[in-house]
Amino acid sequence: MGRGVSAEEPPKGAEPPSGGAVPGGDAPGAPGRGESWERRLDTPPDVWAVFLQARKRDPHIHVGDVHAPDAEMALIVAKENYTRRDPCVNLWVVRAGEIHSTTEDAAEMFAPATDKSYRFGGSYRKQQQIYHSGWRLSHRDEDQ
Amino acid sequence: MEARPQVQDDPELLARFTERIAAGDQIEAGEWLPGEYRFEAQRLIQMHANSEIMGALPEREWIPRAPTLARKMALTAKVQDEVGHGMLLYRVAETLGRSREEMIAELVEGKARFHNVFHYPAETWADVAIIQVFVDGAAMQTQGALRSCSYAPYARVLKRICYEEDFHIQLGLDVWRTLAEGTPRQRAMLQDALRRWWTPLIHFFGMPDRISPHTEKMLAWRIKVKSNEELRQQFLRRFVPIILEYGLEVPDPGLRRVDGEDRYVYTEPDWEELKRVGRNGGPKSAERLALRQRFYRQHAWVREAVHLWAAA
Repeated sequence: MGRGVSAEEPPKGAEPPSGGAVPGGDAPGAPGRGESWERRLDTPPDVWAVFLQARKRDPHIHVGDVHAPDAEMALIVAKENYTRRDPCVNLWVVRAGEIHSTTEDAAEMFAPATDKSYRFGGSYRKQQQIYHSGWRLSHRDEDQ
Repeated sequence: MEARPQVQDDPELLARFTERIAAGDQIEAGEWLPGEYRFEAQRLIQMHANSEIMGALPEREWIPRAPTLARKMALTAKVQDEVGHGMLLYRVAETLGRSREEMIAELVEGKARFHNVFHYPAETWADVAIIQVFVDGAAMQTQGALRSCSYAPYARVLKRICYEEDFHIQLGLDVWRTLAEGTPRQRAMLQDALRRWWTPLIHFFGMPDRISPHTEKMLAWRIKVKSNEELRQQFLRRFVPIILEYGLEVPDPGLRRVDGEDRYVYTEPDWEELKRVGRNGGPKSAERLALRQRFYRQHAWVREAVHLWAAA
């Protein structure tokens, strides 16, 4: 087994402080009142997150974790555990402690604060329908 | 086994947590948890992980003796699935605060528990059919219900596990059908295996829950989703008809369906046996733990090499 895939030392951040999540900073534009909205998972350094791409046109999806001493071994274990029967064209592994995530408390920042229907094609289609049906109603006599 | 913790949770955080769970929210790894929730969820998932690892052993014994190559391949795939489930589950249990090494050591030393059904022998090829249909079928009831549990990492893993368990049951039904429609000797072998497995299967779901504040709390926190008796009834509703359909005998003469109700009555099993087996005092407990220990020691060099590799 070569060390070709990754010879890097686990980064400092992969050694989590004991207890709880690693707190993130207050980034500019972060919501809330000085509360941390970003964190890293408190994960042992030998844990790798596995991302699986089922078909070429699909995104990679986090399917679970594996324990491994390095990336190459992580890919082997990931293959054994996550590709036994369902389709897969590509696997990614990344040290789980390196993943930065928004906190669950911060979920509300994804909720649309205002009406965002102007961002969706569907709402325009709806307007067209209303417009056309209105036009048909008002022009019925002339059509006949 | 760790003792139940006596921690005092921050009342404000606890109230918020309870409110979230009541609203149907699920909890992710790394979020604040009440001490008791962490303890109970961790214990449940660790026992589930242990059961997957130990559950692979009775069937593993039959890989070299499988009657055809197709059966051997399918059985090997199933055993591999079970060990894979163990791996997924130890990782989830680890997010609740105990290391994988610690949990495996506890299992190997005989200090941890695993499911009662894996303490019994698999004497004949018909036992394999019973394990695949009825043991996995029983596990499906519990695990299917827990897919809506409040600990999201466990719920996600269970989705995958149930998907694979379905293959195990379908495979088992195929073995079951072959034997049930086979020679008189094959049918007798199947009936005999069913007789030996019946009590462990009734035991599987545990004693009917006492209505206690503890049970109420587990249900409210959705660490438990259905009561033991609800799950046992669900199992009987789905699996008794399979026995009858093939003209085999339900090994409990006291079993009958209550008129006008979707419920079975059954002969009360010896619950002392379940307790004894649960404390690793079953007919095969010592032998299977010894096997697990033997391989754990035999493979120590692999763990050491991996450790050195990681440190290098």
